Amino acid sequence: MNRIAFQNLGKRYGKQWALRGVSAAFAEGEVVMVIGPNGSGKTTLIKCLLGLVRSTEGSIAVNGTVIGTDPSYRAAIGYMPQLAEFPKELTVEQLLRMMNDIRGARSGSTDDRLIASLGVDALLDKRISNLSGGMRQKVSAVLAFRYRPNILVLDEPTAGLDPISAGTLLEAVLQARRNGATVLITSHIMEEVQRLGDRVAYLQDGLLRFALPPETITEVTGESVLSIALPKYLAQLSPVHVEGL
Amino acid sequence: MWKVYKYTLLDLARNRFALGYAFLLLLVSLGLFLLEGDDTKALISLTQVVLALTPLLALVFTIIYFYNQYEFTVLLAVQPLRRQAILRAQFLAITTALVVSFLFGVGLPVIAWTSNAIGWTLLLTGTALTAVFCALGISIAVRQRDRAKAVGVGLVTWVLMVLVYDSLLLWLLFTFSEYPIEPVIVPLAALNPIDLSRILIMLKIDLAALLGYTGAVYQHFFGSFGGMVVSFLALLLWTALPAWGAVRAFVRKDL
Repeated sequence: MNRIAFQNLGKRYGKQWALRGVSAAFAEGEVVMVIGPNGSGKTTLIKCLLGLVRSTEGSIAVNGTVIGTDPSYRAAIGYMPQLAEFPKELTVEQLLRMMNDIRGARSGSTDDRLIASLGVDALLDKRISNLSGGMRQKVSAVLAFRYRPNILVLDEPTAGLDPISAGTLLEAVLQARRNGATVLITSHIMEEVQRLGDRVAYLQDGLLRFALPPETITEVTGESVLSIALPKYLAQLSPVHVEGL
Repeated sequence: MWKVYKYTLLDLARNRFALGYAFLLLLVSLGLFLLEGDDTKALISLTQVVLALTPLLALVFTIIYFYNQYEFTVLLAVQPLRRQAILRAQFLAITTALVVSFLFGVGLPVIAWTSNAIGWTLLLTGTALTAVFCALGISIAVRQRDRAKAVGVGLVTWVLMVLVYDSLLLWLLFTFSEYPIEPVIVPLAALNPIDLSRILIMLKIDLAALLGYTGAVYQHFFGSFGGMVVSFLALLLWTALPAWGAVRAFVRKDL
């Protein structure tokens, strides 16, 4: 079953199209690495999925239902933004309780494994204003995974995390995939993209150029390293070529 | 909505600016009551402070708090919550925090020194002005992408309402002093929440008598029970309309 399906999705800001004609479907248990140059439309695509931005044309279906103004579909989504900011005067524990209240989570229904493995349990009584950027990222990761979402949207999740925590987070992504979650990750770290991605969705100038397994790209170009294979593969594509959708 | 309200209020309860604002008002109020020999004179001075300071701080604080919370607001908008509920909760929490600060800083001294109709009118109008300018602040913040620009628009709004509008009314009064312009001035004054609040307090202090015919017209309209009800309805509208517009803009906004 398709967890996420974009159908001819387009978004225009004034006269400028940030996204145009994006059609793609992502299945359960699939990790999709969304990559592309700055300003290529990655953030807009994610924001459309999260309901933060209204598309100009096309539609998005989440878990089989076309999304509209009803926010209930977002109960199935866990989101980790690139920049984690929370109310500064709340403690981490109060923040977690707030999200529990909002999500209507019952005691014992949450997945709290990341709280211990990322060391957030030691931060529970600390105020957000006393946390470093990396610590806030860890709290953000906990919130994204906590409500057992079947769709995870992670925006540059390892940026700002120490290597050990980044490894723990990526392991959590793989675990979520094993549990059937569909994971969309934006990243500029090509090792991460090659290691984690079942497919690489490449955006350029608002167009989805391809959504292919990384192995396909490396095989076609004869390069084993994705960061080297990718430019070669792009050079082979015609300007409007769209493949693997 | 109340879940977001509760935790936003908890955050605001520890906010240094909100606490500082409460203690600043307390200091000013205590200073005026202790230094002025006459309680009514102290109350008049306090009225001037409240009419200028409360709108300014409510506007600027609301705008800055909205921008400080923006990333978290985006995170809330990704939860299974309606956007209307998020913004309403934040607006109500900011207004509650500033009203509590106002009642602590001004309310306690006023009740201690002059617990009479003048004092209560000052507290009511100060509370209403806080709500009005929080609503205007959130309305400005939602519509502007840039924090500095939003603060600028807020300051211009404040200057227009505190200084420019008054000057225009005075100019009208002087220019058309030979005509019976007062019936026009009354509704015009009611269009500005700060002027409206000033008139309501002035009438309780009985300073309207100094204004001659204009004062009599004010007294005739605003002094009656119906006039008071209309005045507070006008202040309510000044709160409800910008707040409603802000929610509407926020729902349609690309975050």
